[in-house]
Parts: sequence; structure tokens; C-alpha cells
Amino acid sequence: MTQDQETQQLKSRDPNAGATPVAGEDPEMSRILRRETHSSRAGASVIAAVLVIVLCVYALLEAGVRAIGQPPWLIDPTTAAGRIIALPEGISPLLLGASGAVIAMVGLFFLLHAVLPGRRARHLLRDPRTAVVVDDEVLASALARRARTAANVTQEQVMVVVSRQLVVVNVRPTSGSRVSEEAVLTAVQAELEEMSPVPMPAVRVNLASSGVIGA
Amino acid sequence: MNGTPRTLNRVLLFIIGAKLLAVGLLLLMLATVPAVGTWWHDWSASVWAGAENAFRQTRFPGREESWLWIVAGLILVAIIIAMIAWLSQQGKGRANLLVASDDDSDVDGEVRIGGGVAEQTLRAALSERTDLAGASVATLEVKGNPGLRIRIQPRQGVAPHILAAEVSQLVEALDLVIGQKTPVLIHMVSGARSRFTKAERVR
Repeated sequence: MTQDQETQQLKSRDPNAGATPVAGEDPEMSRILRRETHSSRAGASVIAAVLVIVLCVYALLEAGVRAIGQPPWLIDPTTAAGRIIALPEGISPLLLGASGAVIAMVGLFFLLHAVLPGRRARHLLRDPRTAVVVDDEVLASALARRARTAANVTQEQVMVVVSRQLVVVNVRPTSGSRVSEEAVLTAVQAELEEMSPVPMPAVRVNLASSGVIGA
Repeated sequence: MNGTPRTLNRVLLFIIGAKLLAVGLLLLMLATVPAVGTWWHDWSASVWAGAENAFRQTRFPGREESWLWIVAGLILVAIIIAMIAWLSQQGKGRANLLVASDDDSDVDGEVRIGGGVAEQTLRAALSERTDLAGASVATLEVKGNPGLRIRIQPRQGVAPHILAAEVSQLVEALDLVIGQKTPVLIHMVSGARSRFTKAERVR
């Protein structure tokens, strides 16, 4: 599935997508939003390109040295080829296996970056004029403030984790005072409905069984 | 929103990753499975023999060295140039002009509005707000047309939808001033500055 189709599906699945558009119903805007919610893989690309350049520069050096008939810098290409052919011999199997594992891991890192969808921890907000993208941490801090006032606890006693489909609110009540799970849930849900992020996550509240003393 | 070539990144990363993975797995197999070792011996020796034969046939007249080394060098230079070109594509896409068009008057010429106009007015408007820890505005090229990216860092606990609506109003005011609707992206980021400063209690 391409990222285009994914975004399309996401919109059609949403019940109130017709009410207010995510951004002006502009195909260009939805393209921008799709690009902003998915990783560009620029970092991995830069690492890969630098790696290939370094390898090529070294190979170029040895090939150039060989072409003009000078002594090799680190290893003569012919000697290197001979050693590679004789590979299981001439090196300890532990070292060979370890270097193989490292190279395979680096390869897997690049391969996964290329294959995985690369979604970023961001949600969209509805706005008629502009395209709005919000980091999940910003949503979490806003929801945490609402949960804090609903539970009547201090800032340190609430922790909110926002993921794509789920908001988890962890509350540690003050020792001796009761916190209503229901009240926190309704408050957070009301705030979330006001924001109406796309995709809309579900809410779960966890009350810690042990309280905080002196908060 | 910038012009990073995403498909190209994925394709090249896939090729490089698959090759590295294959080499790594081969080394692992050589170290652990003896049968792979004998197969590798036969196969690589025959390949190297063919290569040496090619080198022997392509010697400079009267000298030891083969000109295949120079060909190999040229291929390597081509790969290096291609990689540098790929690197330079990452994160490009800044634009200078917000508007560049003819007006309908009799006077010849073109109207041009620089991106700095929008960037500075929006930044000035956003810098007065106490609920923001930072704001930056950039003009970027989106499929050949200019677009604005507003990146704001709200303080902890600021409601993002209210903030988005208010920034949106600023953008609409800017539309009136410039006389043209430009695509605008508002990106609310969380950074170290908003995380370690005090929570917003006013709003």
C-alpha cells in the first residue's frame, strides 16, 4: 500500500471528515500533510551516501596507485582478492562471524528504513485554511494539563503517552484524597474531542494504587 | 514540506541495505557452515581467474599494467559524483519569492513579493505571544509554487487546536495583505525549550 492510498483510506474511514476538511480539500495540501507525517529518510540516506563515498574513495586510491604502478597504500588489490577467495582460512572464525554480523546489521538498518512506512509520531488537526500537524508530545502535554485539573493533582503526578491510536493517562493520586477515574476520563475525552486530531485515538486512564505523600 | 526525493531515498536505501545484508550474511555463513566455504572457494576462484584473464588481455602495449584499472577508477568516480548529487538533494527546496506575477495595469513589468515579507510579519506577530517558546517561518517550494511553513513551539499544556485557530487567523490576515492564498503548513513541535520551561498556567 502506498502512502497515498493510506491517507485516502484514513480520510474515508473518519466519520466527520465531510464536516470540516483537514486542510482546504486541496490535493496539494493533502500531499504536504502526507509528507509531513512520514519520515523523509534523509538521515539514513546521508549515512548511506557517506559510507559509499568513503568505500569508493579508498578503492579509487588503490586502483589509481595500481594503475600508475606505485606500491599499494594499505593492501594491493590482487593480494586482497587472493585473501577474500581463501576466506574461511586466514582469519579467526570468531572475527569473521562478528564482522559479518555487524555488516548484516548495518544492511538491515538501511533495508528496514527503506521498507517500513516510516510514520512519525504526529497527528493532524482540522483547520479550514491551513494544514496543521502536531507532534504527539504537544497533544500529550495539553491532555496532561486537563487531566491534572480534573484529578486535582500536581503536574508531576500525571503522565500522558500519546500514540497513533491510543492515549494512556497515568495518574498517581495524592495520598488520602480520592481521584475519580470517571472524571479524568470524561475530561480528557472532552478535550480530545475539542481538538479532534486525525486519526482519533482512544483514551485509557490508569490510576496508580499507591499514592504520593505530601503533594 | 521540503523537496527531499523520498522515492529515490527509499530505492537507494533498499539497494544499499540489501547488498550490505547479503555480504554480511555470506561472511556469517563462511564463518559457521563449512559447506559454504568449499562452494565459495570454487566459485570465487573461477570468477577471479576470469578477471585476471581480462586484465592480461588489456595491458598497455609494452607495460605490466592493464587499462582496466583506469576504467574501474572512472566508474568509481562516477559513483562518487552520483552519491554527492544524492546528498545535495536532501532538504532542498527553499524559495525566495512568495508572489511573482503580472498585474493587469498598462505598465510593463512584474510584481514580486519576497518570502521575507511573510516570514518577518508572521514572526513578529508570533513573538509577542507568551504561550510560545519559539517560532520560525520559512518559505519553501511545493511543486513549483511557494508555500509557507510555520513551525511553532508551544509551552507545556497549551491547547493545540485553539493555538492553530489563532495562527490561522494571522494567516488569513496575511492573505489579505498579499492578495493571494499561499499554501500554509503549521507544525507544532515539542522541543527541549518547551519541555524544561515552566508550564503555561495563564490560558
